Amino acid sequence: MMQAQTHLEQATQKKAYLTLVAISFFCVIPFFWVLLAAFDPQATQFLSLPKELTAGHFYNLLVNESGVRWIFNSVLIVGLATLLTLVFAGFGGYALSRTSAWWKRPLLYAIILVRIVPPPALIVPVYKVMLWLNSAVNNVILTLTENVEQQILLSRIFSFVDGYLGLVLIHTAMQLPLAIWIMKTFFDAIPKDYEEAAALDGASQMQTVRRVLIPLALPGFAAAGLFAFINAWGDFLMPLMFTSSPELQTLPLGMFRAFLRVDAIDYGFLTALAVIYTLPAVIAFSFARKYLTQTFSGGVKG
Amino acid sequence: MTLSFETKRQLGYRLMMAPALLLMGAFIVFPAFYAFSLSLTNDALLGFAAKESSFVGLRNFTRLFGDPLFWNSLKVTLVFVIGSAVIGQFVLGFAAALCLQQPVKYKSIFNAIICLPNAVPEMVVGFLWISMYASGEYGTLNRIIAWFGIAPQQWLYTFPLFSIIIVNTWRGIAFSMILLTSGLAAIPKDIYEAARVDGATDKQIFLRITLPMMMPTIFLYLFISTVTTFAIFGLVYTLSRGGPANSTEILGIYIYNQSFTSFQLGYGAAVAVISLVVSMVLGLVYVRALKVEV
Repeated sequence: MMQAQTHLEQATQKKAYLTLVAISFFCVIPFFWVLLAAFDPQATQFLSLPKELTAGHFYNLLVNESGVRWIFNSVLIVGLATLLTLVFAGFGGYALSRTSAWWKRPLLYAIILVRIVPPPALIVPVYKVMLWLNSAVNNVILTLTENVEQQILLSRIFSFVDGYLGLVLIHTAMQLPLAIWIMKTFFDAIPKDYEEAAALDGASQMQTVRRVLIPLALPGFAAAGLFAFINAWGDFLMPLMFTSSPELQTLPLGMFRAFLRVDAIDYGFLTALAVIYTLPAVIAFSFARKYLTQTFSGGVKG
Repeated sequence: MTLSFETKRQLGYRLMMAPALLLMGAFIVFPAFYAFSLSLTNDALLGFAAKESSFVGLRNFTRLFGDPLFWNSLKVTLVFVIGSAVIGQFVLGFAAALCLQQPVKYKSIFNAIICLPNAVPEMVVGFLWISMYASGEYGTLNRIIAWFGIAPQQWLYTFPLFSIIIVNTWRGIAFSMILLTSGLAAIPKDIYEAARVDGATDKQIFLRITLPMMMPTIFLYLFISTVTTFAIFGLVYTLSRGGPANSTEILGIYIYNQSFTSFQLGYGAAVAVISLVVSMVLGLVYVRALKVEV
């Protein structure tokens, strides 16, 4: 009887191993090519073991081509968007957690619905909105200075179409619904008493926020920031729609355009680029993983 | 005029909400409503209508419902969502979650490997799979099927929709595994022990205990994955851009192609309206069904 039991358990365990190995094989196999080809001087579209290893593709990407520029643009745009998301979601999540006003419930429901709006459905109207904002900004720039070089510089920074500001703001808007949910959930878990105790001890509002609230909500900020970063970093639709000049290209666009050079696709270059583009996302995801369940179930259950 | 402490505090909350509401309002809520009004015009990127677009009533919608390409896109989207989110990711993710419940070794390694695809940006996902699906006998997938004696295939041409379903399945196993693992962990262990003492078989335990107790988590998973899969763009755009012959033209791609390749903004907006309505209905059903507490 006892032996039959262990025999059965061993069989189940064996099945578990087999299933896990099969799923893991499926998950890992597409990565071999990109990791090998990035260091293979004779990189092709096909998976093959390099005869010798080289860092030449990375050198080429960063020194001869615009790799550094693309990295800089991606880091700047996604970094600023993540920062703005954190600030606005911090305020918004705190207000939603603490208020008992009539708008609390409708707003929370509205944020769930806003969160599930599919971005591709917005491309036409958002494109229009961005064009209006763009011409407004450029009119202001024209009145500010008559120096053409300054105009170009200002318009590069503050334009909504083909400018940094537009991409930063649209990424922020897209990441806000989830981030507000996360922050609201985390603030809900911090008892109001802490703030009141701090106030009784004579702390100013700012001190309470800095010394009490932010430290306690730190895991919330970490989760919200990581998810905002990962999603904005991986987004391809917004840069595709609102970037045209090469100076503004980010990593996904640089990669996409390099891939469009149909006549001569340089697979070494592309795989090196893919490695550089993927690495920050994988690192961020490894930190974000532990927040995944509590964020999504929390974001829904409140 | 002096404001009471409470009034000031309430005003403060509104001020704190303001920047987030302004941004979401300008870039998500307003555009969503604006899509409705654009869908009633003949707005275009080029030509006469670009300068002076005019109200055309429901003409875009009558054209839409008579357009086989629109119905094709709807069907492709449905198959894509069901194939990858409802079946592929769910089955493999659930299998992985169940196996990881067993006392197996190297759990964290299996976990890390299965999570890896989820971390990759969609642009790179497309790129990785273009190599996997490469035609000819040296393509990675073709080499794998050669082990089983199957001749090389032109994956993205012969089975385009199936191929993108596989890619999205690959990408989403991690999310379903993580969510379902947390659901499994919440089932009290003594129920299982009691069932075993009563002589229940593994199959009975799974069907009578695990599955019913997992239902809320499964619904939550199905909702999130359906909605996110419905919104996919970049992954399919890099792999196939909707082709060959519209066979992978999910709604997101169809909207993009109609708006920015055929330059018909009004018509594109009409498709967008359909896609918005579908996701809002899903959202409302979900909020009602699960009685989301806020």
